[in-house]
Amino acid sequence: MSEYVLEMKEITKIFPGVIALDNVSLQVTKGAIHALIGENGAGKSTLMKVLNGVYTATSGELFLEGQPLILHGVRDAQEKGISTIFQEFNLINTLSVAENIFLGRYQGKKTIDWKKTNKDAHNLLSSLGLDFDVTKPVGRFSTAERQLVEIAKALSYQAKIIVMDEPTSSLTKKEIELFFPIIQKLKDEGITVIYISHKLDEIFQICDVVSVMRDGKLVGESPVSEINREQVIELMVGRTMEAEFPPRTVTPGEKVLEVKHLSRGTTLSDISFDLHKGEILGIAGLVGAGRTELAEAIFGADPLDKGSIEIYGKPVSIRSTKEGKRNSIGMVTEDRKATGLVLDMSVTKNITITKLDAVKKGVVLRKQKEAAVADEYVEKLNIKTPSINQTLYNLSGGNQQKVVLSKWLFSNVEILILDEPTRGIDVGAKYEIYSLMNTLTEQGKSIIMISSELPEVLSMSDRLLVMHKGEIKGELRDGQMTADNVMQLVIE
Amino acid sequence: MNRKKVIDIMRNNGILLVILLLIIVTGIFERNFLTFNNLLNVLRQVAVVGIVACGMTYCIIGGAFDLSVGSVVSLAGVITILSINNGTNEYLAVLYGLSAGVAVGIINGVLISLINGRTGEAFIVTYGMQVVVAAIALFPSRGLFISGRISPGFFKSMGEGVMPIVIFLGIAAFMEFVLVKTKYGRTMSFIGYNLDVAKMSGLNVKLNRISYFAISGLLAGLGGVVLCSRVTSSNPTAGLNFEMDVIAAVVVGGTQLSGGSGSVGRTVIGAVIIGIMGNALNILGITAYHQQIVKGMLILLAVGMDILNKQIKLKEMAHDKVFA
Repeated sequence: MSEYVLEMKEITKIFPGVIALDNVSLQVTKGAIHALIGENGAGKSTLMKVLNGVYTATSGELFLEGQPLILHGVRDAQEKGISTIFQEFNLINTLSVAENIFLGRYQGKKTIDWKKTNKDAHNLLSSLGLDFDVTKPVGRFSTAERQLVEIAKALSYQAKIIVMDEPTSSLTKKEIELFFPIIQKLKDEGITVIYISHKLDEIFQICDVVSVMRDGKLVGESPVSEINREQVIELMVGRTMEAEFPPRTVTPGEKVLEVKHLSRGTTLSDISFDLHKGEILGIAGLVGAGRTELAEAIFGADPLDKGSIEIYGKPVSIRSTKEGKRNSIGMVTEDRKATGLVLDMSVTKNITITKLDAVKKGVVLRKQKEAAVADEYVEKLNIKTPSINQTLYNLSGGNQQKVVLSKWLFSNVEILILDEPTRGIDVGAKYEIYSLMNTLTEQGKSIIMISSELPEVLSMSDRLLVMHKGEIKGELRDGQMTADNVMQLVIE
Repeated sequence: MNRKKVIDIMRNNGILLVILLLIIVTGIFERNFLTFNNLLNVLRQVAVVGIVACGMTYCIIGGAFDLSVGSVVSLAGVITILSINNGTNEYLAVLYGLSAGVAVGIINGVLISLINGRTGEAFIVTYGMQVVVAAIALFPSRGLFISGRISPGFFKSMGEGVMPIVIFLGIAAFMEFVLVKTKYGRTMSFIGYNLDVAKMSGLNVKLNRISYFAISGLLAGLGGVVLCSRVTSSNPTAGLNFEMDVIAAVVVGGTQLSGGSGSVGRTVIGAVIIGIMGNALNILGITAYHQQIVKGMLILLAVGMDILNKQIKLKEMAHDKVFA
């Protein structure tokens, strides 16, 4: 029998146009707490989705305790001993703890044997040293407690491996201190934990082995005792950036936008910054840092509670996206299919929607005017489409993204917020979009660029704000803009 | 014309072809069926449903739904007839009826906007309004049928002769023009296809959506007024189940329930088809109960074809993905 509880051999996963996993081999020792880290988009989640049955690998093999493992979906993986605890729990708040643990696998023959269900649930939680009222609805428990219910649920499947995706991201310091002994307990019982986290401190505190992923590849692996923090960060971000980005040549001018003490609910607190003419201002941070929320607050999609926004020194009130647009702000959203484009409509109609007044004569929309606009942008941005009347379904991600950009260019806004502008598009199209950003800033437009791809924000930004937990943790300029500095600011 | 084209036409106009067949068969058996007078009669019968269906079309294209139209038809009729009987100027009386419709529509729209509702919420909210408004329509006359004291004039002319048809087709033509040719119409399609995209494109989603309900309410009110004028009386339950006939006309016309895509012109065709079908079945001596079954099946067929078409379209797209 193999010494590894899990072996993933030469796993490759290809999505149309993207190699998400490139020949990744991962071995996990039984009873270890194995950390898996990497930037957003490095391939951690994809790898874990191959492991928990969500995706099937394009090529490669899985072995569980030395036996070949073929998975048919999440439930199958669970039954074979691989459970995953996602950041968003898979619990139903209105059902009791016991019901959640045994959801879909009720005890008893014809009718549900509640006594046995509750007793079994109680026993599982007791084995973790916990004493919960298992008949209470899950919604009445705290986040930390719900996480423990998830662990009990995994145990009820006789889990051999539990994958935890950022398990401490929504826990308080105190809760984390209570959470670690439970993980230790799992380890003592021979259960293997794969621990995904951005928090390096935690990894050095409780993990045995750390594997680092970058760009869909496994770039390093080491026992935690033989590696230090700096080396891990270097592995995470280190890469060559030759000719991946066009050089920036614009010198920013006068102040265009100033945000003062902006706060919104629990997601944003006291944010102040400014943006200059012709500037690309980058915003880096982890997923959930509040970057998109900040963009939406400025654009008016989700108006701010406190604070003020000034454009060219004049205070403006932006309570809706319409007012955002009127104040010359446009936003390219991070999910173009859900919020950027109507895929059922043509290239033309998607572009002209932001400024229909410009293609009207009287009250009537003129086809020729619309077509002229569409033709102009198809040529300018090199949008590859068989026709301007083509619906957007058939266009590639890169070309769809160019249509989103066109619609805001046509509306002629001066401030463009780009949220993950190159997500899910191929390298060539990325370069075109970077070049376009340069051209636009040369023409005097100002850009706020939100990106989870560090190399991209580092190379394209004139200045970089680093956000964490709804606050701006720091501003980096010129020589300070390095991956290490960003990571230092976001890692606790 | 090659075979694929023929199949495409069959697919896109399947229901029309079925109805055409019914018309031809009926026409062969019954000489009175395909006469100008009979067809005019059918049009007159569908005019009220058609007027209301035009408003419903806007609502559905805009990504919503309005179940309250039947009750509004009743309410507007009761208000107008009662006002006239009380000696109110007939123009004002009609205005009161229409205003009641607009008011109900605005309440619908505001409530749905407040909860940021989609089709499902619109369904529930307007159903609630349907029940409330139906009850309100019963109060003024204590649920009784009221005979109108109507002298010849503006109000009386609305339901006479070809007037209902003129109103119906005039409104439909105007609304189709607005839908296809103006900024308002384009915005409606965008909101209906994808509310979030519309919002993130800087469009005023809330105000636009409220307007669709207001228009639906207005036209339901107008439908109620025309109906009362035709029968020179008001029945507080005249609009009972009316919304189902209206939705049937829209769906058979081919407007997609999922929003975004549709046409007022096709709703006219849908309303006429349902009218002609009822008339043909009458002439063929089929009982009202059996007619209900046929009508229900027609709606199922329309929705089924719509879904089938979408699936085929998606499959074709998967094949066509040359530019990926």
